Amino acid sequence: MDYLKIQNLSSNTGNFLLNNINLDIQKNEYFVLLGQSGSGKTMLLETIAGLNPCSGNIIYKGNDISLIPTEKREIGFVYQDFALFPNLNVEENIRFSQKYKNIEDADELFKDIVDFLKLENLLERSTQDLSGGEKQRIAIARALFSRPKILLLDEPLSAIDPTFRNAIMKSLKDIHRRYDVITIHVTHNFREASYLADKIAIIMDGEIKQVGDAKDVLNQPANIEVAKFLGFKNIFPAKMLGYESSSKVYSVDPNIIRVAKNGELKTDYVFEGVVDECMGIVDHYKLFVKVKQHQFFIKILKRDYEGCYADRTKIIQIGFDKKDISFI
Amino acid sequence: MFFLSVPIIKIFIGVGSEKLLETIKDGEAIDSIILTMKVSAWAMVFVLFTGLPLAYVIARYDFYGKSVVESLIDIPVMIPHTAAGIALLTTFGDTNIGEFFKFFGIEFIGTEYGIMIAMMFLSAPFLINSAKDGFRKVDVKLEKTARTLGASPINVFVRITIPNAKKDIINGALMMWSRGLGEFGAIVILVYHPMTTPVLIFDRFNSYGLSYSAPLAAVIIGFSMLVFLIVRFITNRL
Repeated sequence: MDYLKIQNLSSNTGNFLLNNINLDIQKNEYFVLLGQSGSGKTMLLETIAGLNPCSGNIIYKGNDISLIPTEKREIGFVYQDFALFPNLNVEENIRFSQKYKNIEDADELFKDIVDFLKLENLLERSTQDLSGGEKQRIAIARALFSRPKILLLDEPLSAIDPTFRNAIMKSLKDIHRRYDVITIHVTHNFREASYLADKIAIIMDGEIKQVGDAKDVLNQPANIEVAKFLGFKNIFPAKMLGYESSSKVYSVDPNIIRVAKNGELKTDYVFEGVVDECMGIVDHYKLFVKVKQHQFFIKILKRDYEGCYADRTKIIQIGFDKKDISFI
Repeated sequence: MFFLSVPIIKIFIGVGSEKLLETIKDGEAIDSIILTMKVSAWAMVFVLFTGLPLAYVIARYDFYGKSVVESLIDIPVMIPHTAAGIALLTTFGDTNIGEFFKFFGIEFIGTEYGIMIAMMFLSAPFLINSAKDGFRKVDVKLEKTARTLGASPINVFVRITIPNAKKDIINGALMMWSRGLGEFGAIVILVYHPMTTPVLIFDRFNSYGLSYSAPLAAVIIGFSMLVFLIVRFITNRL
């Protein structure tokens, strides 16, 4: 049985439409909702939390919770900017739900969360002068203390110093397991998604474009739009490889395309093209090569070849193997 | 600065400390100051209960006719106060509305209730507009988060929204109160007796001249300045 099932969920706030969302989330699944800014990610989380009017159903363990008011839904919400209550200190923030919910073994749970998230020294402090990481831990602690069944995280890593992100991502996975919650984590960063997610849904313009196991979604995008968003490069018609279908496209990783000047390439596919541009970056060169009307983007590591491989307007060969192609 | 400060300084110098002390000991003057302070405070408390929800609705929601509602709130600030007094008299005087309230034992002509509605009508916009600005500054995500943590909309309003807008609410409330202290035009039309301080100053000036009204004017100016300093002190410490 699906733990959380979202069926035909739609919400219209006047200037944005969340259209017919369907998602199935299993127990202990870390679910990542991936989408660009303005794609409706936050709105979907708020709709699941009951903060927006909606049609459709949200079924948790077989019970439809879509008509239950937000305060009774048992959902924890952590916003991108953490939304700590400025009028309360850190401990009062964490314990906020205690006044409204019957929390079993509240003191024990409080101690456990405070220990786990290393908040002992912050409890008496005001929320005003804390770092992004401290605020994030407090916001998560506050949400967990309310004993939620579902934890909604809205871009929780975007305000965190990049040097701490990996450690925090590990903590997020630990929290998910330790407190036995369904986690829906929203992000625009597909690297973050690939690290955390068991399952990924891609949201664009208020619609789910693809959903599935993280590995499948990240390696086999359902369409060009999703592929581009996931960072796929060199997306061209399969026709140029000799395939008949006019609608099919393929993508090839810029790191595995090989280059040569004198026709010595022994790859499955070899094309002749003109160098459009060569740009030197920290540890690699970006080479742009025009093959007929298509411009290939190729990365050449500096350790493999020092200097631009060829000057602009020079003709070179590029090549790649069949096994390195992803069809979209 | 000269224009703003000299008349204030002049009235204190002109009156002198002896007459000021005499006025402070004058029963009629003190009664009028207490009456003015008390009724203005009641008007403020009444608007705190009724005006804060209105200010919140305006700050948070878009609805048909919102700009009309906002304009209606601002109208009392723009119209002459004596005209406001006439408008209140024709509404709450010898009319059906007046009769309706009379049924519950509330009369507006010549009573403290009359003073209160005159003060409310003309100074409520200070509180409502200030609270509206304060509510707008409260991040709506705080309220949404509080809901997910189990608080009902009313609990959120009381525990999150109001405390985080308190600076503007207190500022607006004190401004409304101090503005109520100075109300004259509307009150004098609705309620000549019992006399609020501004009415008493007017009455003494008319009946006995400047030397008899100036000390009372100095006392109420001093008092208004004290209120102003308290407002500043409190808002700076919040």
